[in-house]
Amino acid sequence: MKREKRFGAGLFSSLNPVGFNLERWSYTVHRATGVVMVGYLMAHIFETFQLTGGATAWANTMSALHSLGPMEMIGLWLVAGSALYHGGNGIRLILNEAFGMFMGKPILPVYPYSPTSLGRSQKVAVWTITVAVLALWVWAGLYLLAGLGVI
Amino acid sequence: MAEPAKEKGGSLMKESWNMVVTYVTGALLVFVLTFHLLLHSPLMGVAFDSTLLFPNATGNLVDYQIVFGLLLIGAVIHGFNGIRVMVLEWLHPTRLAWLLNLIVFLLMAFFIAVGTVTLVVVG
Repeated sequence: MKREKRFGAGLFSSLNPVGFNLERWSYTVHRATGVVMVGYLMAHIFETFQLTGGATAWANTMSALHSLGPMEMIGLWLVAGSALYHGGNGIRLILNEAFGMFMGKPILPVYPYSPTSLGRSQKVAVWTITVAVLALWVWAGLYLLAGLGVI
Repeated sequence: MAEPAKEKGGSLMKESWNMVVTYVTGALLVFVLTFHLLLHSPLMGVAFDSTLLFPNATGNLVDYQIVFGLLLIGAVIHGFNGIRVMVLEWLHPTRLAWLLNLIVFLLMAFFIAVGTVTLVVVG
């Protein structure tokens, strides 16, 4: 039997959401944003550690970060977006997996297969999170990149 | 919340407990990370750059030491356990799973130690 191209092996194929459903996209973005945040977490712990060296060490650290120019704020904006999506989608996953919400009732697997876990309520939950996160991310961008403290 | 799955004989499966830890730390992070981000938001009434000044940065760590302690522990455990699960699903290391667990545990301990030193010295 010929294997469909989308069912490849390996890390990148397992993360590739193209050709799959909405939950697969959500899964991929959740993992990607998680990796981004772990990378930032490690850097942030070392950054904050500079506070132990006193005001001068902290000022030097801030100067080094400011020397990155716009990349500093763009990086923070990407991290903010990652945190917003990972947090919002994480709440949905906890409600799904730990409390069984939005999952639908199990049915017999009759062709054509349609997963009850991806019913209307699940799609509404995913899109609600996506729209809310995008709105907050745009606001975070205005705040961080344009210096507009509008709330 | 659902009970963790049990093996025959009644002992708890390790990975199911890891998922419970992931859920608990994830739920915790929603609150403490939101609080941390709000400290740098316009709600504080100062510009973002001002929240990063030495007196403000140290003041936050002193005033909210317990919150930042929970944030440190929760983020490190949740984050590194997430990376561990991704590596397990990617490589399926049956013989070397213990090595992966050990490396992740040591990384967790290291970053929690560095963060704790920061909180203690500044506080």
